[in-house]
Amino acid sequence: MEIRKNNGPLKWILIVISFLFLTIFLLLPLIYILSTAFRQGIGAYLVSISDEYTIKAAMLTIKATLWAVAVNTILGISAAWCLTKFAFRGKKILSTFIDLPVTVSPIIAGLIYVLTFGRQSDLYPILDDMGIQIIFAVPGIVLATIFVTFPFISRELIPVLTAQGTDEEEAAALMGAGTFTIFRKVTFPHIKWALLYGIVLCTARAMGEFGAVSVLSGHLRGKTNTLPLYIELLYQGYDFTGAFAASSILVLMAIIILILRLVLEKKGKKELDIKK
Amino acid sequence: MSDRNEEAYVELKEINKHFGNFHASKDVNIAIPKGKLVALLGPSGSGKTTILRMIAGLEQPDSGDIIIAGNRVNNIPGSERGIGFVFQSYALFRYMTVYDNIAFGLRVKKVPEKEIRERVSELLKLISCEGLEKRFPSQLSGGQRQRVAFARALAPNPQILLLDEPFAAIDAKVRLELRTWLKEMITKLQITSIFVTHDQDEAIEVADEIIVTNQGKVEQCGTPQELYSSPASSFVAKFIGNSTVIKNFDRFKYFEKAEEAEEAILRPEFVAVFKKGESVQYTSSAEKAVVEDIIFRGSNLEVRVKLYDNLISSLRSINEPIVEIGETVDVFIYRMFLLNKDRICLVHNQSLKQESVVI
Repeated sequence: MEIRKNNGPLKWILIVISFLFLTIFLLLPLIYILSTAFRQGIGAYLVSISDEYTIKAAMLTIKATLWAVAVNTILGISAAWCLTKFAFRGKKILSTFIDLPVTVSPIIAGLIYVLTFGRQSDLYPILDDMGIQIIFAVPGIVLATIFVTFPFISRELIPVLTAQGTDEEEAAALMGAGTFTIFRKVTFPHIKWALLYGIVLCTARAMGEFGAVSVLSGHLRGKTNTLPLYIELLYQGYDFTGAFAASSILVLMAIIILILRLVLEKKGKKELDIKK
Repeated sequence: MSDRNEEAYVELKEINKHFGNFHASKDVNIAIPKGKLVALLGPSGSGKTTILRMIAGLEQPDSGDIIIAGNRVNNIPGSERGIGFVFQSYALFRYMTVYDNIAFGLRVKKVPEKEIRERVSELLKLISCEGLEKRFPSQLSGGQRQRVAFARALAPNPQILLLDEPFAAIDAKVRLELRTWLKEMITKLQITSIFVTHDQDEAIEVADEIIVTNQGKVEQCGTPQELYSSPASSFVAKFIGNSTVIKNFDRFKYFEKAEEAEEAILRPEFVAVFKKGESVQYTSSAEKAVVEDIIFRGSNLEVRVKLYDNLISSLRSINEPIVEIGETVDVFIYRMFLLNKDRICLVHNQSLKQESVVI
């Protein structure tokens, strides 16, 4: 309690350090992105962002993100549900595997899929016969994005579900409620805000994914280039206005997500206060 | 419980249950008659909650039969066993109002909404919580939550009510009120009820019958009086009442050394403490002891005296002359339980016989 009342120098030093850090490492680069994007005037900026390949890249990013969020919402809920509500063999292993994508470098994640689905793999002829192409195609990009963003939703849900325990579900089950009813009426209201928050984090991470996607994409302009990859391509081609204009789209998307996050957090907290 | 086999309603036969290497239930046999209020009493980890959860179908026994109303229910899901369950932490649905909580079981059973409304208001009246139907569980007091959990369990008209440590999460004062309330309710509704507790006062006060468990085994079943006056095992003898275990009981005056007995048990009501000269009757046969500690219990005083290296408790009325710590007093022991493995016998002070002859 003492430390909260302390208005001495320590408080101000910490505040200054925090702001200085955020300014240098976050705010300045952000301003720089925007100023570079608009350096050759608003006309050049508009031309850059309405460029066919930029739009296609943005669409592909959105597509991959939507896929990743949809798949990971279902997988994340399932994983969190089974880890917290059931006791089974291999629970520890599963729990560790969920964290794997965070600990493994995205490049390696990309390479794993190249090795699994690429030409040298035993799976390749089977997939080829079925006319499915994964490497250097959109499915590969989606797969890589799903892999990298997998832990976000389940990791948000697990603590909430653990804190809730299994009593309420058991009570509902004893009254004869089916699994789906139990989920809809008892579990879902509880995890709603955590789930939305997890989705927000998952979305943000999916939009920005570079490493794993880079390995799998093949960098085909207008076909397998996501926004981050395309930005890299423009940058390497000394098209700074183009690169930074495309970046500004990504920044805008990130800001929208950030605002969403703030709103969700506030709403969730309000509800929690009522029902705690 | 052989004499009490008048139509067992809930029966467990030769039940065994393991959790990994932990043997949670060892050859459990119990029979509970219809309409009785029964307590499962034991220290924590003694397997009492496991028994309750197996009856509810929340756990499956490894072997043995669970029989309800004459039918083996091992393979019948808990929801079809006609059971109401009150959880230790109540497990009220915290995102539903009191009304929705109580109505949940009926809605699942697709009861028409009109009947649900009637049943819920009837139950709210029963638990004297009218007017609270729109509140969320977080907006209720501990006692109210407990009663709502009770109403929710009762809503679908179960044949059996199971309660897991129903009073554990409530503060002492409200707990006493709720105990009485619950006993009245259950007697009124005539519903077979089983509750788990680790608190012997609670079990003795509330239950018609008590099942004492220890280390996964059932030690004894019987009425509170039976457990008190004729414990069936040394565990029950030590667990029930405020018991003191005595090793060197053969040094006590007027108690014959029983060859096989290993230890003895004294309860406060077996012992009387007198100030010097206070009692005429037992002076010759009383032991001298020094008061070590006095604890004020409100309605009486617990006096602890040191006798042959044992700290022995006795109760004195607050109306009797006051004894002080360090004072030498006369201690008369009326009787004690002698334990030999699992054989127990009650022995009386032999001077009682002699003096009665004299008087």
